[in-house]
Amino acid sequence: MREVDNANPAILNVSQLPSRSRKVTTPRQGPDSKCDSIVYSKRPWLCGSSSSEGEDLEEEDGEDPVDAQDIYDLISPISDPEHPHTLGQLSVVQLPDIHLAPPPAERRGDALVTVTVDLTPTVNHCSLATVIGLAVRYRLEQTLPPNYRFDVRMKDGSHAQDDQVNKQLGDKERVAAALENDTLKGMLDKMLETCV
Amino acid sequence: MAQFKQWALEYVLADDEPMQLELTKKAAKEIEDSRASSTVVGNWAASVHQWMTLANSNDDDQMEDGDEGGSGDIISRAKALGFLAGTLDVLDKAILRPDQVQRLIGFFGAMFSYDHKAGITASAKALRQLYSMKNFRPEMGIKVLEDVCRLKEDFRLQTAVTRLEIYELLLSLIQDPAVSSELQHKHGSSCGFAVDLLQLCSSERDPRNLLIWFKIIRRLLTEFSPSPEVTEEIFKAFSAYFPISLRSSATPIGITAEDLKEAVRNCFSSQQRVAPFAFPFLMQKLDQGDAITVAVKVDILRTIKACIEEYENPQVSVVPYIEKIWGSLKYEVRNGEVKETIDATLEVLRAIARKLDGSKTHKQDVALLRNYIDLVFGDCKDDLSNPTYTKQAGLLLMTVVTANIRGYMLYNASFIDIIRQNLRQPKSPTHTRDLLLLVNSILKTRIELFNNRKDGHPDDKDQLRAETGTHLVSLFHDVYLPLWTGKASGPDSEETDVLKQVALGVGLLVSQQALDAEGEVSLLCSGAICVDICTLLTITLVKPLTLSSNDNQSQDATLEDDVVLALRRIVMNYTDGYGWILMTARKQIRKRDWAGPSKYSLEALKVLLSRLAFIGCSEIPAKIKSDTEPDHPYSPLRHYYEWLWSLVALFPLSPQSATVNSYILSSLHASVIWFRDACEAKYGASALTLYSKSEKSWLKEFEQLPGDFISQLEGRSILPDQVASSFNEDDPEVYRQFLRLSFFVVRGLYKSATGEAPWSEQALVQLAQTAALVVQSLDAKLQVSCNLAQEAFTLFKTSKDKTCSSPLSGLLTVGILQGLHPSAMTELYQPRGVAEKFICDTSELGSSPRSSDIKAAVGAIYSNKYQAGPTTSEEYQTLKRVLEFWTNLIKDSVASSNIDSASIRSFTNVAMHTTSGAVARQEKLVLDLIPILHEAAASPSPNGEIVARSMGTLVQPNSEVLNKESHANTKRFYKQWAYNFLVRPLYDLARPGSDKDPKTAARYSIVILSVAKNCPFTVYQDDLESLLRLLVTALSNKKDDSILSEGAAQAQVVAALEILVDILSNEPAALKGFLKEIISGTTKVYQESAPSNKTLHKTLTTCRKLSLQVLGALPKTFEERFLLPFSRPTQRMLALACGDPVRTVREAARSARGNWAKID
Repeated sequence: MREVDNANPAILNVSQLPSRSRKVTTPRQGPDSKCDSIVYSKRPWLCGSSSSEGEDLEEEDGEDPVDAQDIYDLISPISDPEHPHTLGQLSVVQLPDIHLAPPPAERRGDALVTVTVDLTPTVNHCSLATVIGLAVRYRLEQTLPPNYRFDVRMKDGSHAQDDQVNKQLGDKERVAAALENDTLKGMLDKMLETCV
Repeated sequence: MAQFKQWALEYVLADDEPMQLELTKKAAKEIEDSRASSTVVGNWAASVHQWMTLANSNDDDQMEDGDEGGSGDIISRAKALGFLAGTLDVLDKAILRPDQVQRLIGFFGAMFSYDHKAGITASAKALRQLYSMKNFRPEMGIKVLEDVCRLKEDFRLQTAVTRLEIYELLLSLIQDPAVSSELQHKHGSSCGFAVDLLQLCSSERDPRNLLIWFKIIRRLLTEFSPSPEVTEEIFKAFSAYFPISLRSSATPIGITAEDLKEAVRNCFSSQQRVAPFAFPFLMQKLDQGDAITVAVKVDILRTIKACIEEYENPQVSVVPYIEKIWGSLKYEVRNGEVKETIDATLEVLRAIARKLDGSKTHKQDVALLRNYIDLVFGDCKDDLSNPTYTKQAGLLLMTVVTANIRGYMLYNASFIDIIRQNLRQPKSPTHTRDLLLLVNSILKTRIELFNNRKDGHPDDKDQLRAETGTHLVSLFHDVYLPLWTGKASGPDSEETDVLKQVALGVGLLVSQQALDAEGEVSLLCSGAICVDICTLLTITLVKPLTLSSNDNQSQDATLEDDVVLALRRIVMNYTDGYGWILMTARKQIRKRDWAGPSKYSLEALKVLLSRLAFIGCSEIPAKIKSDTEPDHPYSPLRHYYEWLWSLVALFPLSPQSATVNSYILSSLHASVIWFRDACEAKYGASALTLYSKSEKSWLKEFEQLPGDFISQLEGRSILPDQVASSFNEDDPEVYRQFLRLSFFVVRGLYKSATGEAPWSEQALVQLAQTAALVVQSLDAKLQVSCNLAQEAFTLFKTSKDKTCSSPLSGLLTVGILQGLHPSAMTELYQPRGVAEKFICDTSELGSSPRSSDIKAAVGAIYSNKYQAGPTTSEEYQTLKRVLEFWTNLIKDSVASSNIDSASIRSFTNVAMHTTSGAVARQEKLVLDLIPILHEAAASPSPNGEIVARSMGTLVQPNSEVLNKESHANTKRFYKQWAYNFLVRPLYDLARPGSDKDPKTAARYSIVILSVAKNCPFTVYQDDLESLLRLLVTALSNKKDDSILSEGAAQAQVVAALEILVDILSNEPAALKGFLKEIISGTTKVYQESAPSNKTLHKTLTTCRKLSLQVLGALPKTFEERFLLPFSRPTQRMLALACGDPVRTVREAARSARGNWAKID
């Protein structure tokens, strides 16, 4: 078996990864909070069918266009081809390196949106950088609507041959051809198994 | 003779057991009939002669060659002997004479010498039977043992089953007191027979046999007194198996490795005589270091513990080995990492301490225990100053010092002193925390030792009485207080850990009890110290309220939570503390301005009240004497009462903020829940039914008190009997008295809620819910005696009270009605009674939308809690009138053009909920109402649509007021029942293209879907085909030319999708014929539900989410060939849906897209 490029990468704990769910405040968990759900119930008592319409939207059902965190959530669970960790845990994918143009607030209807993702390989001679880039691109294509365009690159200076890798990843023909290759496709599917 | 021979032959030839049993029974009967005459017994024994002679002559030469005929002979010989053994088994145990038994023993015993191949199993069986004979003599037992031992090497060659038979025989003999005394007499301490047995059984491997063999060994050690040499031999025999394990087998035999370990352990711990061999052996095994696994180590440690616990005369059997044991074990804890090993080691050390202390009846010399603890102390003392080992050394010391009261009394002062010295110069906050942890553990264990004093030696109690305890009391000023004051302002996380330990520690300190000279229990700490501690902790408790939101950025509430737990522990022991805490909290609350409170202030108030309720009301305080004169005499309800008083005194806190006032009522509600749970846990629910001393109406008693009674009670020492009588903490009557007091307060609050200044809705809701909780806990008799059915409507008002009628006061009515038992409501069904008037009064319905909800809830309870009686009764007629009133009102209003849709909504709400209560108990009256409702729903007026849409309510009664706790009457299959009458008849009429006009059909379709949506799958399972047609129609209706209003159409789509999701998870195959329609329908729904309309935003989002859910589930259920034709357009649509503005919809779209991507 081929030797691993970086045998000891730095690994982040799952709880250290940026996440939207943790931004929501959790209810207090003191010894005395057993009755809180009963006596401070959010649902008004005795609300009959008459008031079920036009209720306030629950927080999670509010409008919330695709943003960088969404993109991060889509690609950070992809498994690394070498290590039993995700790209998020290995910091190959980082939230500040994801950019959307135009930003969510200025978006209108079905206008084109360009997603730029800069990847940071764990070592600058990583031979699998292209495969990782391809997996990210493939995942985004699978999960975002057709009006999205993707630009997946190696972060400047993060890879010894970043120009070449970027060129490969930017070439639609080559990307399409790579996806026809069964071995490569099998590898991508394996990497994407950890994405829910 | 011939007869026996014949039977023996038949037995040998027979293959099935019942027949063999039959033959042995015949033989036994023959012997019994002859009264065991010598001739008959002789004939019987001789009946197997033909097989025996053959055996003796042929045995050696022919059979060993494995000759076919020879092996047949072995089998028949074994069977022939089996005939004899079988006969003995069924033979009357008293019939054989001693000489006959002896002769038979001789015969079967000889088999162990001569016939190792065929005779052993049957002989062993026969000997066991002979052993159970009445005329069996002990000396015969010795003979049997000797005979069996002659098997020698050949024992190993017997099958496991045969060996088992022999082991059973040996065990029975060894266990027999007469036989064993005979053996003792004959062999003395040389125990020759034991040596023979050891040789015989030395290489046993079968787990089942081993279990018995170990029992025999244990017996040999406990019942006989073998010489040291023999003991060593025996020890070698069982210790060779240690540590024992069991390979997993394909055919489990019901024995676990744990059974075997236990059996070997029992051998080790059987007798102190083994001690000189056992301890060195076990220690040597343990000292192998890393070569042994954790499981083995734990096994060794448990075995050592068993030896220590079981051996008698510890001075000889345990003391000589203690130093060695300690030398090996201390490193297991000091440097150990595995929890199991550490725990097992500590168990051993604790066992030594307990053994050296003595038993409940006999105390050992105190020097033994002292020497042992000194040994441990000497080794561990210095480690306490080393932060790396503090915890471990503390654990070791704790274990030996607090293993029993004597050890504790001898050493706790010096132990605490060493810790105290170390605490003065701690190496780090963690070091301080570990040392505090130790002090706290000592205090915790002291409580346990104190509580267990009754089960100990009388000396222990005397020692407890003589304890000074000053070194404990001084902990507060010497240790806890300086640490707290040094770190309390702005602690970092490590310091917070220290503070948590301080909080825990002072809590434990206040809970310490002492025995005075008369043997009475009192608190160890003085009242002054208790007050100091309460003050200290209360400052932390109320701190959030003293700060502004900018000053209090701390997110971590764990220290405050620990303080809360400590305070609860304190006030349950030092009962005066709670009043003090409440007073401080009240002052602090009043200091703040509540006119327009910030979000921070509100949260701080809410948390403080919730914590105060928990501290005082989540347990029942104990009655313990204190050195100071208590503020009030003890009562189990004292804290609860003080809390209630505080709430009443605080209420209303703010003239403007309804939220502030409702928080006070919420905490009242919480405290009722806490105290009720505490009573349930302590006295059980049966406490309420057992006690029924007072049958007098509580209300009547309350009426003798002035209206503002509670607020007059400030500083009063005792509650008058009208409110709560005094009881001991163990008296179950406390539960009832608690309800009485709660009821009293609720009544008072009800009166003021409807007084001159009416309360906010939020406050009323809280009060009503509290009332419901109190009322539902009372039994029906009490509810009747308090006339609660009527009071629900009069709200405890008397003619003197000023009233201010507010439509919202109906909330309070619901609160009481909700808790009533059906049998306490009968009075309400009187014709033209207060309930009927209330429910059928439509005058206020238009004034506020809440009026309709309130009336709906009252109606639902009213129709649900009717106790079935004859249909001719007045009560039944009243119920009928109420139900008919509402249904007819609906019918008439729908038809009338003067009534606006808001009123229709209100009416429908009340009508449907009122009827739903009756539906839940399958009231037959409903059947007459259904056609009227159908008719109203089908009405051409646009209002009919409102009726049709709300029909689903009929099978979804309001679970907030109708649930099991509130004594609602809900039949198990009521949905099935209602569906049958409500929906089934409509399928034909609702079918698209039926004779009915499209509008009527559409209305019926709404009814069907709105009801089916609220039913489980099994209810509509039989009508899937018809239902699916309606679902498909609902999904594919064109938006523009629909005959339904937009809202109704959307609601119907939601219902259709919900039902589809339900069907997909239960019987997806039913959808096969409708795939095309479902796929195009859901696609269309998704596309048409774009978020355009603000008012219907939620419904549209739900539509999109559900339609994607249904679409996404299809590829998981159906084969590719069914879906392939739709794959491309669906995937395109799902790709677009991945850009939906709502996140949860996008997630559903992604999941669906992933599923469809596989279909290509």
